[in-house]
Amino acid sequence: MKRIRVGLATLACLFAALDGTAFAASGATSASDDAAIKLATQVCSSCHGPGGDSQSPTFPRLAGQQQAYVSAQIKAFKSGARNEQEAHDYMLGMTTLIDDATAESLARYFASQPHPKGIPGDPAAMAAGKKIFEQGIPGQVVACATCHGAHAEGNGIFPRLADQHEAYIVRQLTVIQRNLRNSPVMHGIIKNLTPEEMKNVATYLQSL
Amino acid sequence: MNIKSMGVGRLLVCLGVLGWFGLINPARAIPAFARQTGQACVACHVSFPELTPYGRMFKLSGYTIGTRQALPLALMAQFGVTHVRNNRDDQGQKIVPKTDKPVLSAASVFAGGKITDNIGGWIQWTYNNLAGNGDVGHSGIDNTDLRVVGRSENTDNTDMRWLYGLTVNNNPTVQDVWNSTPAFGFPFTTPPNGIGAAAATMLDGQLGQQVAGVGGYVYWNRTVYVELSGYQTADGFFAPLRAGTDTQTPGGVHRLSGVDPYWRVAWNREWGADSLMVGAYGGHFRVYPDNTLPYTDTDRFTDIAVDAQFQHISQDHTYTFQYTHIHENQDYRASYPATLAGAPIGAGPAPANAHDTLITDKLKGTYYFDRKYGATLSVVRTHGTADAGLYAPGSVGGSVNGRPDTQGYILELDYLPQQNVRLMLQYYGYSKFNGSRRNYDGSGRPASDNNTLFANIWLVY
Repeated sequence: MKRIRVGLATLACLFAALDGTAFAASGATSASDDAAIKLATQVCSSCHGPGGDSQSPTFPRLAGQQQAYVSAQIKAFKSGARNEQEAHDYMLGMTTLIDDATAESLARYFASQPHPKGIPGDPAAMAAGKKIFEQGIPGQVVACATCHGAHAEGNGIFPRLADQHEAYIVRQLTVIQRNLRNSPVMHGIIKNLTPEEMKNVATYLQSL
Repeated sequence: MNIKSMGVGRLLVCLGVLGWFGLINPARAIPAFARQTGQACVACHVSFPELTPYGRMFKLSGYTIGTRQALPLALMAQFGVTHVRNNRDDQGQKIVPKTDKPVLSAASVFAGGKITDNIGGWIQWTYNNLAGNGDVGHSGIDNTDLRVVGRSENTDNTDMRWLYGLTVNNNPTVQDVWNSTPAFGFPFTTPPNGIGAAAATMLDGQLGQQVAGVGGYVYWNRTVYVELSGYQTADGFFAPLRAGTDTQTPGGVHRLSGVDPYWRVAWNREWGADSLMVGAYGGHFRVYPDNTLPYTDTDRFTDIAVDAQFQHISQDHTYTFQYTHIHENQDYRASYPATLAGAPIGAGPAPANAHDTLITDKLKGTYYFDRKYGATLSVVRTHGTADAGLYAPGSVGGSVNGRPDTQGYILELDYLPQQNVRLMLQYYGYSKFNGSRRNYDGSGRPASDNNTLFANIWLVY
């Protein structure tokens, strides 16, 4: 009897885990999940690619991104809190169409997608970027891995950076450094990063 | 600038319109589709009207992305100055009106956008301020495209598998989403009072606002596009699609017999910041020689074209290329025998040959920095069979050797201070016009006399 109870508990845990990760395979989806799938396949995919695996470096890869981060960004676009030019040009209008429940479902959808493969770049740049990511720059920049995870997998509202487009990361670091994207904590951390250092870190992250 | 010649009334109107554009909030100064999606022009356009990959999906999706607007209207206006190198014919008479002074060339009202999640479209109504000989303004319907669409997802719910729809439009290729086809090909706007060449293929703008097309299309995996449409003269139920077009005067417009086919296939691929399309399109048109005599035999025009487009779109540097080659087989099975018999059909053509060919090549490259500063170079060539009956000698518009050959280049410089404002300078340089370089018309006029400079302000709101 005890073995049956343990088995049922395990099964319950498994279902709970699947519910949170295997978005598209769950079969019975709520109305907001259906709306999210429709949005993701018919609208988001035009720029962010199939399942969030975008082709153009103008648009970030969202596949496997942290759920909390995607959710927070949708809200930031919608409220105008995320205010760089691209946020205004592409995302402000799109996110005003998304209600809170659908935003959560979309975030869960993208978090559940398998993340794309990294794209290796120049070995010297990757090595230099790896060093900054893992160790930071003494006295200037805190190691990125501290918040973004040892493998750049992200953590909650700290985004996954692994396999992200190099050009997109450089662009975000640039607009944050210039205070064109409102992100006070990151701004403080990267304010002394040089363009070359940004590129090296981005090259490394794209390769993961 | 000859402000005096504009007249006080027109000047006030121009100033009023400019003032209105000046007062609008730049962040919101975007037309109907942009208001519907809340996105900026650059989301869909490299620079209007050239489409980005997302813009192509928006169009193929029937303009249904976003929220339906209560007042789905947009406005467009163009103010420009045209200078023709030699605007006097061999008799010293002025050829085209109102050159070398600023004129409001055209203004349009658009009604467009989403109606339901599956139905959308746009209708353009244009006032042409330089219609006829330039003295009288005229308004009428312009390009129109109405769609009903459907979609299905792939099995793992990551992307669209099928995007399919119906289009009703009034200009073959206006429904196309690649800017290598004529309706939305370069040049995107032309001098309203430039000098036009004698020959163009049917698909190269000869049927616009005269016909109604109903077609079906499918787009599979964002890779393969197939379309089949049928075009007929816009009569009866479809008459609004040619509203304002004079179809009662003999000559000038083309009247089709029955429903004529138009087809389109394209292969598309997107990778990184790049996209590539390679395709083909064509049509077969049965045309009454005289548009007011729709009971005679018809001439047949068969167009077969190939085209390609490459785009690289990134934050700072954007460059795009488009190419098309249109081959037209002209079968004058009605006009030629009638001409031989000495009785051409009404105002129809009087060809010297039973069959002619007409070929057009267009190649264009564009570079934009910061999506704001742009330059475009285009080379254009039309050539074909010599036919003294179709291309007879005549001052300015004729051909001394009976050939339709025209070739040259177009250079355009653009500055977009805002995404909905384009300041542009266009130059048309001709190395051959209606058959030859020197004395092309038989009246001593060289092709280069038709070289044209066009400065234009293009506003959309």
